[in-house]
Amino acid sequence: MSTRGLVRWLVAWLLATALACAVVHHAFALDLDEAHPRAVLASVWREGRLVARAVVAEPGEHPASLDAAAGESGATLVYESVVAEGPVVVWPEAALSLSFVPGRDGLSATFAGHTAYVTPDELLAVQAYDHGITIPSMQIATGLDLPLALAAASAALGVSSRDLLQHGTLRRIRVIRSVAGAPPARAVTAESLDEADVNRAAVAMGRYLARGVDEQGRFRYLVNAPTNQTLPGYDWPRHAGATYFVTQIADRTGDPDVRFAALRAGALLRDHALLHCGDLRCIGEQDSDLADVGSTALAVLAFVELARTHLDDGYALLVPELTAFLRAQQRADGELMHLYDRSAKRPVDIQLLYYSGEAAFALSRAHTLLGDPRDLDAATRALAHLVGPAWSFFGSRYYWGEEHWTCQAMDDLWDRAPAATRETALTFCLGWQAYGRKLMYAPTDTPFDGDGAYGVGPVITPHLTPAGSRTEAGLATLDAATRAGRPAEELAVLDAQMRRSMAMLLRHQLPGRAYLFVDPPAIDGAMPGTEVDWQLRIDYAQHTGSALVRWLDVDGRTRER
Amino acid sequence: MLSRRAALVFGVADLLTAAVVGLGVFTALPARWWPVDSAAAVLTALEVAAAVGLLAQATWGERVARAASAVALALGLFLVTVLAVTASWLSGVYGPVGAGGAIILTLVAVMALPYLVVLPVVELVWLRPPPRTGG
Repeated sequence: MSTRGLVRWLVAWLLATALACAVVHHAFALDLDEAHPRAVLASVWREGRLVARAVVAEPGEHPASLDAAAGESGATLVYESVVAEGPVVVWPEAALSLSFVPGRDGLSATFAGHTAYVTPDELLAVQAYDHGITIPSMQIATGLDLPLALAAASAALGVSSRDLLQHGTLRRIRVIRSVAGAPPARAVTAESLDEADVNRAAVAMGRYLARGVDEQGRFRYLVNAPTNQTLPGYDWPRHAGATYFVTQIADRTGDPDVRFAALRAGALLRDHALLHCGDLRCIGEQDSDLADVGSTALAVLAFVELARTHLDDGYALLVPELTAFLRAQQRADGELMHLYDRSAKRPVDIQLLYYSGEAAFALSRAHTLLGDPRDLDAATRALAHLVGPAWSFFGSRYYWGEEHWTCQAMDDLWDRAPAATRETALTFCLGWQAYGRKLMYAPTDTPFDGDGAYGVGPVITPHLTPAGSRTEAGLATLDAATRAGRPAEELAVLDAQMRRSMAMLLRHQLPGRAYLFVDPPAIDGAMPGTEVDWQLRIDYAQHTGSALVRWLDVDGRTRER
Repeated sequence: MLSRRAALVFGVADLLTAAVVGLGVFTALPARWWPVDSAAAVLTALEVAAAVGLLAQATWGERVARAASAVALALGLFLVTVLAVTASWLSGVYGPVGAGGAIILTLVAVMALPYLVVLPVVELVWLRPPPRTGG
């Protein structure tokens, strides 16, 4: 082929590709028409279950067929107006699974002239979003759970899922929701967020966790919110972190239920997880040879908080034993050896995510309580290592990880650390937050309510816990930067970033759409994983809750200054 | 006849393309899918053969290099088209892809373009057979 022929061929390819892109985009984009809904679905929900449905002419219409169900105690009548409809790609299955925007799109299925709707509320109630495609190695879960969605549609049409898929027509629908008799909910924004909002949300998170603490002191570690079922699994670091946060809320509120929950959770750590690691004490599983620095560090945080707030001063006696273990795990360069082999009675020099930052923060908190200079020295050396040699590689100015304890340690140590260390740490933490701002979703970046969350691309639903933990660290950075006398413009940018994240987190606090839950009071105040993933792990509420408490503290200090 | 320097440059470039395609598909991708795997295997083999032929200045070297470039260009254009249409589909379904999404899609396209579009085009032009003379 001649050069001219090749160029012509390439130009033709370019035009054809551009045309294909335009056609595909036009075919799949929804044309929203809120004034003229294609259908209005009136649904009666009770205890998280759809108990009756009718198609009505407009929202607010109350069909007689729903009277009995809607009149029952605890029933909620919800209108979902189908304001747009579009095609889906049915093959490959992954494309069909990704054809529905989580929490926004439902499914319409037509078979033999009959149409059934599976609305976003129905899909949320069975947790069908973001369970279609999983890539464990990348910790990604996305797409609609097709068996669940098709089962709902085929049951409504009285056909099998296979027949529906082979002979029916599937489309996606976009709905707008309204609840009969409910006033429009106030959406917290970065601009409107105030102390009362934050305090109310933090206390609700603490009370949610406290309600889940059983007689032995165990939290409801993982809960499926729609059914209010406790799922298996447990973890001492997260137990300790949750104890720390519940203690913070007990101190703020004086609520006796929260106080006793904090004390029971602390006692479980003390009585069932306190082990011998050689001659020292550590936290871990009784039947495991390995103990880790993370569990012990977070237990120190919890015990210091229990003692500092005078819920039980006796916990101060345990702290020196545990900080001695943390110090013994520290290397000469400030890094910590994260595991301890209890059989061989020696540290194992490997490093895991978060543990060194947790240890630095815990040692700093222990020093504020007990004043042992060895704890301060160890905390300072750990911090210096974390923001120095531990994060020094080609590209380290352009990339930061998820570690969110180092900057809390920096803020806590601000008045006690050497000037050089704290300045290096502040530069590190400000760099991390600037990196975060680059990754932060703007309001129009995704179809989700994700302004203030962190991530890339529109397909993955924004995760809330990373926003919570980064906000904990970001607020600590803001506090330290304020004390360091950084320029007001720099502080304002960071403050705005924090407010966007907190407002977003508050907007997603449960129960939200309470009618979709079997027992709304049981999950009141909880934080979900995402706006459509309603599995609740204790650290989700802990990270966000501790961030909110920190904001209240920082805001209070700023006002005092 | 290709100059020794040009043969060296194209040979090394073909070898690099083979490495990028082979490692990218068989090491970096988290799952196996026969259409992608077989296309990558064929292209990797062709690029290695072209590199060997060019570096050894074998008589068949230029012919194989042209064939490898044609296959690479076809696959490259197909890949870019698929990526562009997929991005259009995603933006149709989800709305704006946002800055992060745009950066990822651009990065993927930019990583493929030099090896699978630009280099094959340059090779096809450079290695095109001389026009036949009359008589």
